[in-house]
Amino acid sequence: MSENIYITEERIEGADDGPLSGTTVAVKDNISTEGVRTTCGSEMLAEYVPPYDATVVSRLKEAGATIVGKANMDEFGMGTTNETSHFGSVDNPAAPGRVPGGSSGGSAAAVAAGEADVALGSDTGGSVRCPAAFCGVVGIKPTYGLVSRYGLVAYANSLEQIGPFGETVEDAAQLLDVIAGDDDRDATTRETPLEEGETYADAATGDVDGLQIGVPTELLEGADEGVVETFWDAIAELEDRGAEYHEVSLPSVEHAVEAYYVIAMSEASSNLARFDGVRYGHSADAEGNWNETFARTREEGFGDEVKRRILLGTYALSAGYHDKYYKKAQDARAWVKQDFDEALSEADVLASPTMPVPPFELGESLDDPLQMYLADANTVPVNLADLPAISVPAGETDGLPVGLQLVGPAFGERRLIRAASALA
Amino acid sequence: MTAQTVQQGDLVTVIGLEVHVQLETDTKIFCGCATEQTDEPNENVCPVCLGLPGALPVLNEAAVEAAVKIGKAIDADIPEETRFHRKNYYYPDLPKNFQITQYDEPICADGELEVAVEGERRTVAIERAHLEEDPGSLQHVGGGGGIDSAEYTLVDYNRAGTPLMEIVTAPDFRSPAEVRAFLAELEEVLEYLGVFDAERDGSLRIDANLSIIPEEEIDGDDTDEIGMDALEAANRTEVKNISSHKGAEKALAYEETRQKNAIQRGRAVEQETRHWDESRGITVSMRSKEEEKDYRYFEEADLPPLRVSGWKDEISIPELPSARRERFQAEYGLSEEAASKLTSTKQVADFYEDVAGEFDPDLAATWVADNLLGELNYRDMEITDIAGRLEEVSRLVELVAEDEITAKNARETVLRSMLDDGAAPDEIVEQEGLGKTGEDEVQQAVVEAIDENPDAVDDYESGDDGAINFLVGQVMQKTGGSADPGDVNQLLRAELE
Ligand SMILES: [Zn+2]
Repeated sequence: MSENIYITEERIEGADDGPLSGTTVAVKDNISTEGVRTTCGSEMLAEYVPPYDATVVSRLKEAGATIVGKANMDEFGMGTTNETSHFGSVDNPAAPGRVPGGSSGGSAAAVAAGEADVALGSDTGGSVRCPAAFCGVVGIKPTYGLVSRYGLVAYANSLEQIGPFGETVEDAAQLLDVIAGDDDRDATTRETPLEEGETYADAATGDVDGLQIGVPTELLEGADEGVVETFWDAIAELEDRGAEYHEVSLPSVEHAVEAYYVIAMSEASSNLARFDGVRYGHSADAEGNWNETFARTREEGFGDEVKRRILLGTYALSAGYHDKYYKKAQDARAWVKQDFDEALSEADVLASPTMPVPPFELGESLDDPLQMYLADANTVPVNLADLPAISVPAGETDGLPVGLQLVGPAFGERRLIRAASALA
Repeated sequence: MTAQTVQQGDLVTVIGLEVHVQLETDTKIFCGCATEQTDEPNENVCPVCLGLPGALPVLNEAAVEAAVKIGKAIDADIPEETRFHRKNYYYPDLPKNFQITQYDEPICADGELEVAVEGERRTVAIERAHLEEDPGSLQHVGGGGGIDSAEYTLVDYNRAGTPLMEIVTAPDFRSPAEVRAFLAELEEVLEYLGVFDAERDGSLRIDANLSIIPEEEIDGDDTDEIGMDALEAANRTEVKNISSHKGAEKALAYEETRQKNAIQRGRAVEQETRHWDESRGITVSMRSKEEEKDYRYFEEADLPPLRVSGWKDEISIPELPSARRERFQAEYGLSEEAASKLTSTKQVADFYEDVAGEFDPDLAATWVADNLLGELNYRDMEITDIAGRLEEVSRLVELVAEDEITAKNARETVLRSMLDDGAAPDEIVEQEGLGKTGEDEVQQAVVEAIDENPDAVDDYESGDDGAINFLVGQVMQKTGGSADPGDVNQLLRAELE
């Protein structure tokens, strides 16, 4: 296995019987597994073995799934290419020599390479949808609150959700059925809106007759030509099956990337504060007082991108800057939400390319964090708005996978699954 | 003395408090771990209170309920919704390196507490009271044993996540004695509410801000009328590590004197944090550079806002000490002093009401407020130390009420022996032969005393009324002290007529 998909390969067998019995699952390495190290792609947690299972892992086990490994990822989820991993980058099985996308690159690659039937990732600003698009598989970012985050090592806790990958929409939906629903250990979760006897998987009928698709013009601007062409081909295919499209506008998404990064980095600066070497994880062998030991531990344990985001987030929350950055970003978040509500009042789903570009070549974007941040333009607004979205393969441009993103109303996962299943 | 000398009389002390109270709940505020104290370190811990990666807090509504009770007791505003924030700072006792606390939407705002200081009623404004999680505790080992001098430091997270209420007062206090009275009243209220256990180690922690400002900056006792500029201009010290109302008075009296002395000598008072060293009875500078800390507060997204708008009406609280004190005066005809003593703790007040329900309320007041509390106090005991023996104290009052023994014997022999030896009252009466002597026996002793002391009888008959006391003494001797001296006096006079 040359792609470097797993950080830790280990089989964890679930219950004898259940809806996922016989199904193999790759689990992103920021989701806690009792007794199996959970590194978050970081040197900081290279030896950390959690004493408990994340709620989604317990649910996988109960459903009879077999976990086959802990999938590679950008360090603490901070990246769009999987190249910030302390354990090395992942080669894209669908486009060798290219990145698999991030941050859940290993999870998407595992499904694309046939190393696992399905996979779990987490999506803070596109971390499920981006690698799904780059690897030519399906990825779902659930509505905030549909899936328990208990055991998911937090990067930006107001934005992220655990989400499933599959080769088909139905496969991913089946995994969503197992992990979705309220959890006493995560106060932000709620019950699924499913009716008695309904599942997410059975919504994958491919029936899009009469579906109203809104296309936000802002999300096509600046996108790669080949990507846009492939996108319109996919829309045409949906039209052939009875869907209709019209253009809509999301005027405030122009602020989304900035707002997203301010909020995500601010939260990260707090969420990652606990890694000080006192209780677990890397601990510097430093003499001196505990502040010096904390500093050395964090200097040694974190990679550059993580340090960059912690520093920027700390700055954004500081007295004197809090109103200028953090508060303003929260305002922008509210505007983005409002824009989506309006657009979704005129359409059943919104469609755009998942990523404005095809997968980067390995090493191409490492030097330019800003280019990497801008690649998230189409995915981050969805996290700001707490909405569900799905990335489904739309076709290829120059032999490189292109993903189509569909966004729906809060807890409207069934609608997205029905629409996306017309394509995969 | 220098030219800068300022007269003491020109200066006024201004004190404000931050009181941390551990709320008595079965489990911690954000996880299911027990709050019970254990000897084994790091025993009551789980992924949540250890801050393990991926763990999430879930709010224990019992802590919110306790907070609402406090809010009702201090007549505070309870908001429609309450939410939590993160206070970010690095410290080894803080598992996540941030503390979940409340910031701009505390569970209680704008409350007050009335307190009696040297017979005068004062109202202390409480600006806010909010919920938060307690950090763990540190133990510095080896070396000099201090935070800077120890060889190493051990961390115990048993305490981490214990619900805390931080109660912040306005700078309404003008003396350490006022602070003590306030804290005593607050403790009493919290105990009445059943949300606080004073016996628990570290259940009450007080930080006090003390400044000395020129008297002309103050008009009356109203905070609003303090020149806030003067308060800002005066350097204040924050005194930490105070753990009781008595300690607060001592620490602040020390600090008040220290600052006044400095000002009198023309020296500047440093703005600093000082540590109260209870054993040495002094405050010590913490020597840390005082810079304005930036805690980078922001919302805790893992805890959705909690609607508490209806809670104030739904949650009931028991009668509070001040109301009970007034009722005791009205219902039982007690003096304010007796009523105060009898409501000093809920257990005392409950016991008084039991006894007063069965016997004469005045007799009950004497027995509970004077005799029982007096003897307990002498032995450094509290009523809680004899919680299982209150029935026996009732029985003793019954013996007195039914005239079976004298009040003097009941207190001086029976009660003391009950407390010192643990015996039951009837047992002691039996053993010591304290049962009141029968009337015939007393009458016989009276006759004998008259027969045996003709001189005293002569004196009495010739108008020396004092001679009767000698005869009373003789009778008491014959009856082993078990006769009632008043009765004996009457009997002697009747016999001599
Ligand atoms: Zn716990």
